[in-house]
Amino acid sequence: MSSYLMARRMAAVVVVGVVVLLPFIFSVYITSAIAVPTLWIGLCAVSLTFLSRYGGMISLAQTGLFGVAGLLTAALMVQAGWDPWAAALIGVLAATGVGLIFGALASSSTGTYFLMITLALAEISYYLFSAVPAFGLHEGINAVFPPAILGDPVLHPTGNYYFLLVICVLVYLFLRYLVRTPFGIALQGVRDDPDRMTSLGFNVRLHRMLIFAVGAAIAGIAGVLSAWNNTRISADSVSLAVTIVVLECAVIGGLFRLEGAWVGALVVTVLTTFGPSFTDRYATAIGIVFLAIVLISPGGLVGIWTWLDGRIRHWLESKPPAAPTPQAAPPPIGGD
Amino acid sequence: MAEPIIRLRGLSKNFSGVHAVQDLELDVLRGARHAVLGPNGAGKTTLFNLISGAEEVSSGTIELFGRDVTHLSAFRRARLGMARTFQSSRVLSGLNVEDNLYLAALGSHGGHLRILPSRSDRALRQLARETAERVALSGRLDSMASDLSHGERRQLEVGLAIASQPQLMLLDEPAAGLARAERQVLMDILLGFDRSVTLVLIEHDMEVALTVAERVSIMHHGRIVVEGTTAEIRSDQRVQDIYLGRENAA
Repeated sequence: MSSYLMARRMAAVVVVGVVVLLPFIFSVYITSAIAVPTLWIGLCAVSLTFLSRYGGMISLAQTGLFGVAGLLTAALMVQAGWDPWAAALIGVLAATGVGLIFGALASSSTGTYFLMITLALAEISYYLFSAVPAFGLHEGINAVFPPAILGDPVLHPTGNYYFLLVICVLVYLFLRYLVRTPFGIALQGVRDDPDRMTSLGFNVRLHRMLIFAVGAAIAGIAGVLSAWNNTRISADSVSLAVTIVVLECAVIGGLFRLEGAWVGALVVTVLTTFGPSFTDRYATAIGIVFLAIVLISPGGLVGIWTWLDGRIRHWLESKPPAAPTPQAAPPPIGGD
Repeated sequence: MAEPIIRLRGLSKNFSGVHAVQDLELDVLRGARHAVLGPNGAGKTTLFNLISGAEEVSSGTIELFGRDVTHLSAFRRARLGMARTFQSSRVLSGLNVEDNLYLAALGSHGGHLRILPSRSDRALRQLARETAERVALSGRLDSMASDLSHGERRQLEVGLAIASQPQLMLLDEPAAGLARAERQVLMDILLGFDRSVTLVLIEHDMEVALTVAERVSIMHHGRIVVEGTTAEIRSDQRVQDIYLGRENAA
């Protein structure tokens, strides 16, 4: 058992080490084409995972909110000449505000109805951005560079990678903290039984609305970081296809654990980046992976890992202790 | 004389033409132990849903704690000092026992949206642990509610009502499905309340109902047809007719 735990700890140290030293281990291409997108797509996906895991709400509106922040930030920077930090702040605040409105509209529904309302809100966002010239229509807004201190996101992605990594870690820690606060515990109560929580004096609708706004803020941060790292954003960045990609990331990684969002984002990013080199039907491969995960493990890849880990621990605990090594027989005393 | 903590006047509830509750009048005095009995389909749970705000009234008025709450939302009614249990256990299955009871305590104390630590948290956790002891669940504080047995879930259900420190408790069949030993635990809990808490219970188990309650209302076809002390109810011919199904034939 202890050797397994040691190996497990070693593996965790290796993973953390690779994540921390990634720009120095891998090429610029891997950093900018795989690692950076994994982080911002994972950030968008974690907003969905969070709402699902702790609020019982599977929202398809996250890309719409991602677009509100990303497109507004881009418009303020490129068309109004705003400082990137100030534009990003306004973008994220706008996404949070729109998230409150979306939450107010959707929070009285549950299950399939909630899913459909949030899908409708995502589509409304997409068609709105497609029709408003200030947001660049389908051509989008180009030359949306991140703050100079972060460096060029394509040629020198190290600064952007570490900035994204810090943001992702902070968001992850914040969410882990939030779910242990009175607000977060109540949120889980709302997830389990809204009527029971109402009878205990909780305003269920307000809780659902506020948590939706938290998810919107996270999706908004992802939108800003996407615009900065792609140096562009358009209405197509928030289309139904992107909504599905975010959902795929959340499901493939696992909707029961926040970490799953980044695991799923990594799988999807690798498949979409390298898949076309092998086959034109790489999207089918992603679909097959998605289907297999849904069928085999509702908890996604992280769920498979958790299950395996549990099985190994159980097997090691139930294994009878090894028999003591037999001592060499003492030499016969005396002789023939 | 104690004033009514519940006052219902002309209360009716229709579901697509079905009269679940009809022109019902009821006063429950502060500190009372009042049972609402009746055969299945009499409208007892609908009555609780109307009082707690889970269902909207079709007509009539509801006063709680001397205040008209007919159009007040369910969560605001709960915050006035009312707690309820449900016919089938409605515990928060994804949380452990302590968090369940902590939420019940938090619900009546405010600070629901707090995300920063507060001194009141320690007191609320303490209240949750004390409540767990009161409902004989102190050994299961860390157990997920989904892992509890049926009897333990019923105990937690009552614990949720107790932890909110209400002035009025509506108990919907608290003894349903309990084994004899578990039922005794429940009766001890109910008999242990002081008079600052008013108890109104629906119960099919006559031993529990008539031991806990001092006054009884018999519901039939959405109306209260008989009301009196437990002794009066035991000897009332109409009650026997209703329970033996002779009332309709008469």
